[in-house]
Order: sequence, then structure tokens, then C-alpha cells
Amino acid sequence: MPLFRKVLVANRGEIAVRVIRTCRVLGIPTVAVFSEADRTSRHVREADEAVSIGPAEARESYLSIDNLLAAARGAGADAVHPGYGFLSQSGDFADAVRDAGLVFVGPPGDVHRRMGDKKASRRLMAAAGVPVVPGYDGDDQKDARLLAEARRIGWPLMLKPSRGGGGKGMRVVRREEGFLDALAASRREARGAFGDDAMVLERFVERPRHLEVQVMADREGRIVHLGERECSVQRRHQKIVEETPSPALDGARREALCAAGVAAARAAGYVNAGTVEFLLSPDGTFFFLEMNTRLQVEHPVTEAVTGLDLVRLQLEVAAGRPLSLAQEDVAARGHALECRLYAEDPHNDDLPSPGRILHLSEPEGPGIRVDSGLDAGSEVSIHYDPLLSKIVTWGQGRPEAIERMRDALRRTVVLGVVTNLARLRTIVEHPAFAAGELHTGFIEEHLSELTPSPCPPLEAIAAVAAALSRRGDTRTGARRAVPDPWASLGAWRVGEER
Amino acid sequence: MRLRCGEQSFDVEVRDAEDGLEVRVNGRDFRFALDPVGPGVFVVREGACARTLHLARDGAAVHLSWGGVAYTLAEEREGARAARRHDPGALEAPMPGRVAAVRVTAGQRVAKGEELLLVEAMKMENALRAPRDGVVRAVHVSAGDAVAPGRPLVEIE
Repeated sequence: MPLFRKVLVANRGEIAVRVIRTCRVLGIPTVAVFSEADRTSRHVREADEAVSIGPAEARESYLSIDNLLAAARGAGADAVHPGYGFLSQSGDFADAVRDAGLVFVGPPGDVHRRMGDKKASRRLMAAAGVPVVPGYDGDDQKDARLLAEARRIGWPLMLKPSRGGGGKGMRVVRREEGFLDALAASRREARGAFGDDAMVLERFVERPRHLEVQVMADREGRIVHLGERECSVQRRHQKIVEETPSPALDGARREALCAAGVAAARAAGYVNAGTVEFLLSPDGTFFFLEMNTRLQVEHPVTEAVTGLDLVRLQLEVAAGRPLSLAQEDVAARGHALECRLYAEDPHNDDLPSPGRILHLSEPEGPGIRVDSGLDAGSEVSIHYDPLLSKIVTWGQGRPEAIERMRDALRRTVVLGVVTNLARLRTIVEHPAFAAGELHTGFIEEHLSELTPSPCPPLEAIAAVAAALSRRGDTRTGARRAVPDPWASLGAWRVGEER
Repeated sequence: MRLRCGEQSFDVEVRDAEDGLEVRVNGRDFRFALDPVGPGVFVVREGACARTLHLARDGAAVHLSWGGVAYTLAEEREGARAARRHDPGALEAPMPGRVAAVRVTAGQRVAKGEELLLVEAMKMENALRAPRDGVVRAVHVSAGDAVAPGRPLVEIE
């Protein structure tokens, strides 16, 4: 008996493809949803059926609870997997799915709300004995009180909107003189982005590492952790290279961190897959940062070392089954790395670079996994996140995982949109990366060394010229085993106005 | 043929040679044998050494991958020298997107670094700031407009 009659995947891109794959293995039929911009996308073609949910604008499609529920009902789905991003951490969506008589593959709405409020979640964690960054999370939000608390915490400190994420409204304040201005600006941004301007103050940890613990909990309160991940290499508060295990931890500290992750999940009343994020300061102490109440982008590195399928575990728990594994059944082997390939331009402040993929070649080989939602010909739209694919490598140890990643990145070809591929290569080839000397300012610190040259070497120019000169050359066509490549080159733009 | 990469320009000549092609780039000679192996994929042999070239064209843009790194060149055809006038006072859209907010009006004095407009693309808001002190001569867009890269948004004098 399959776990569900039919699962609707309320997402797009690589994560929708990823969820569909596990469902297929488990014999569960899937329903994809798509906006007008995605009608021919890979997730639409990999699902058993697909339903249109509105225009390209995410607000009217992937973020429309009404449209998603109508699609689920129409297709006869009995469960909804939210993926990550979009509505995956929305308590309202989780509740609406349940109220429609369907199963939400994730924690219930009240858990999302509890952990989505930084003030409340900090207090909850402190009460449960999980270390939090020294700071202020009170309800008294008057300027005078916040200033007094800021003096108590000391400089530099971090201003964070209580609701929200993605770095919006966050500010580092280094001196008392700038505090009130920074507070006003952060409140304004938080009000605009999240409709709530309550602030949390935290001591600013210099050169921190970003660690996180993967937890899995069932409805009966059994909780296991699946080890930690290190995600310190970030730009704009977004991770681009992740790995497990963290090179910063020894056995005792790893055990303490993972135990704190389980304690945090217990305090949250957690159910299903979740991630507890921590900051590790250079002196070795760690602090609770926040809990992500969904599957993480970087979950494949955990799958690579544990051999577990996290989406399968999610579906089992959502179907009401008890966890099929105890803590002592979880064993990690080897080392795994993930690089996130984004359509963004390192020569243009890492700004997104939409366009059409003209040519694509993804790496394969021992210890390499690629989670991708791409095809040659797919349009990278301005409407959605510019993540193209995730390249994951596994090795017996960290050096082998890095060697395999270097090779995988060298053999990845994406033409038509500008990507961060060369940037990823310079990161994993950097001596500081090889030495495991990571912190969240890694890219800023090494930025000058990490900006690749924009122009190819002369020999590449010569090769291009040679290839271009062959255009329309059909003399050798008869003895060629494959069709003239020019027959398909550049065809994507036929009939389009530029 | 002339290929351009940013400000750099490469003059290229290709001639048939006995066992392949002779290519001269800015006065330097290369001798290649070229085998197409699939759509946009070539094996380029230089002596005993074979390397793979991936290539895709989009109008005058030539996208290539060589040694695992992707580049974009512009092909200049005879008599069609790119003559795009670059107005140093015009602030252009750095990427396709939607104007989320316009913070200035024509005639307004602005300081270097001041936020002029907000362009939204791919879930992110990007502030476009004044490159120097000046007066806003013209604002060419309003909130809600879709913009393409290179489109002038604001002019400052």
C-alpha cells in the first residue's frame, strides 16, 4: 500500500523534480503545478500530471493558497509537499491544507508560527536550555528601552526584525551614535517587508561559522538528528557552498551541537523534517539562530553521508507512521559537499542574470549527484529564485569530496545565462577552503581572489573563430556520424524579436 | 572577423591548412583540427592535445565554455562596428526586472550614493544609487515598469 493516493508538489524547479523522484520510487502518483512561465518546465514533464495555477507572478500562482488547494482537490491529491521557499514555512498554508482534509508534508501551522517569530523562539529556546546569542527579545519596543538594552549588550550588535528572514532589515551597529538611525531604518524595512517592526537585539559575533543540525521527528515525539551541516560560505546572507561533516567540530562538540538541535526541536513541539541553525563563534561556543520548518536546499549532503532519503522520511511521518529509525541506526560515512549553481553575475555585484539556457552539460561520475530543474532551452525567469541546480559530491574524506567537486565543476557547462560557476570553482580551489578555514565573511575576505577573469585565453578565441568559420560548411556532412551542430545552434531565437 | 570581450577586441583570420585550420588572433598563430561531435560541441585538436569547446550563439553574442569556464564574446561583422553611445550621465538597468519604486524626480539634487530607484528581480530588491553628486535631468521610468538591461532609467548632470 503506498503512503498516499496522490501527492501534489506545491513548488517548481529542482526541488519539485527532487520530490517527484522519491514519490515515483515509492509508487505514489504525483501532481505538479505550474505558472504560465513554467508550462514546459522539467517538473511538469516529470510528474504524472500537471495543473496550471495561474500567471508567472508568484503571488498569483505558487503563493496562491486558493489556487493550490483547487488544484489539489481537482486532481484528487490527498497530500501536499511544499518543497522549500514559497509557502513552505507558512502556518496559514499548513492549516489551510489540513482544513481542506489533506495532509501537509511538514509541521503543523502552529509550529511554523512559533518558530517564525524570532522573539518568541529565542525565549522558548533559552527556557529549554538551548544557548542563544546574548541579546534582547522583550516586548517593550520603545526606543529608550532598546537603547538601554543595546548598551547592556555592548557593541557591535545586530538588529534583526523579529519576523522575517533573507537578511531584510538586518543591520550591524558598531557604535552607539548610529544606533537610533539604524533602528529607524531597520523598522521601516521590516514594516515594508513583513508588516511587523518588532526588533530583536543580539551581540554581533565576529567571524562566525554557520552550522545547522538536521532533525527528523514523528507525531509520537520521537526525534532523531541526522548530523550537522556547515554552510559558512555565503553571499548576501545566502549559502552557496555547504558540507557535512563540519571541519570545525571534534567528536565532543559535534555531540553537544546535535543534542542542542534535538532539544530545540523538542521545545518547538516539532514534527517532520526540520533544521536548527546555529552560529559557532571562533572561541568554540555556539548559539541558536533560528529553526527552518521545512526541507532545506542543502539536504542532499546529509543524504549522501547517511544514505537516507529525507523526502521518503518526510512522507512516512506525514502519513502517520512512526520514525523507522532510532538514533543509533543513523551512521554517517565519508564527506559530502554541495555547490549551488545560480544564474547570477560575479562581474555585476552577483545580480541575477535571467535568460534562456542555450546549451547545458551536467557532470556525472563516481560520487557525483546533480539535482537540477533545467533543460537546454529552459528560460530562467525574472519571477523566481535564480537557483539553477545543485552539484553534490561525496568522498571517503573531505579532500576526495573536494577533488570530485573541482572535477564536477570543471565539467559543468551552462551557456546562455551568466552563472556563478567560475566563482564556485575559485572557492573550492582556494587554499583557505581546503584548510577548512571558513566563516560567513569568507567571500568578502577573499573576494579579490575569487572574481574570475571575464575574457578567455587567446587559444579559446582561436578555437571559437575556427568553429564559427565552419558555419554552413556541409562538405563533410556526409561522412559525419552526427548532424551538423550548426543546424541546432542559435535556433532558440528564431522568430523572436530582440 | 572581429570578436570583442568587454573593452578587449580580437582580430581573427581563419585559413584552410593542409591538416585542419590555421587561425591568427591578434598576430598569434594557432593550428587546429576541428571535429564537431554534437550540437554546439567540438573537439579541438592542437597537435596531440585534444580539448572540448562548447559553443552557443544568440544573435551577435557568442557564448562559449573552454577549460570549464564560460565566457561571452560579441561578434562584430564587417562595417557594423558596435557604435552604442554610452552617456556617462545615464544610469542604466543592470539586469531585467521591474521597477519597484522611484525615489527621485527631475530637477532634484542628489548626493553620491543616494538611492534613486529600486529594481526588483528574482525575489530581490536592488537599490540603484547615484554614481556621483548632481542634479536629476530626467527620469525615464515609473514604478511597475518592466525594464531590460541597458535601458536608461535616470539621467544625472
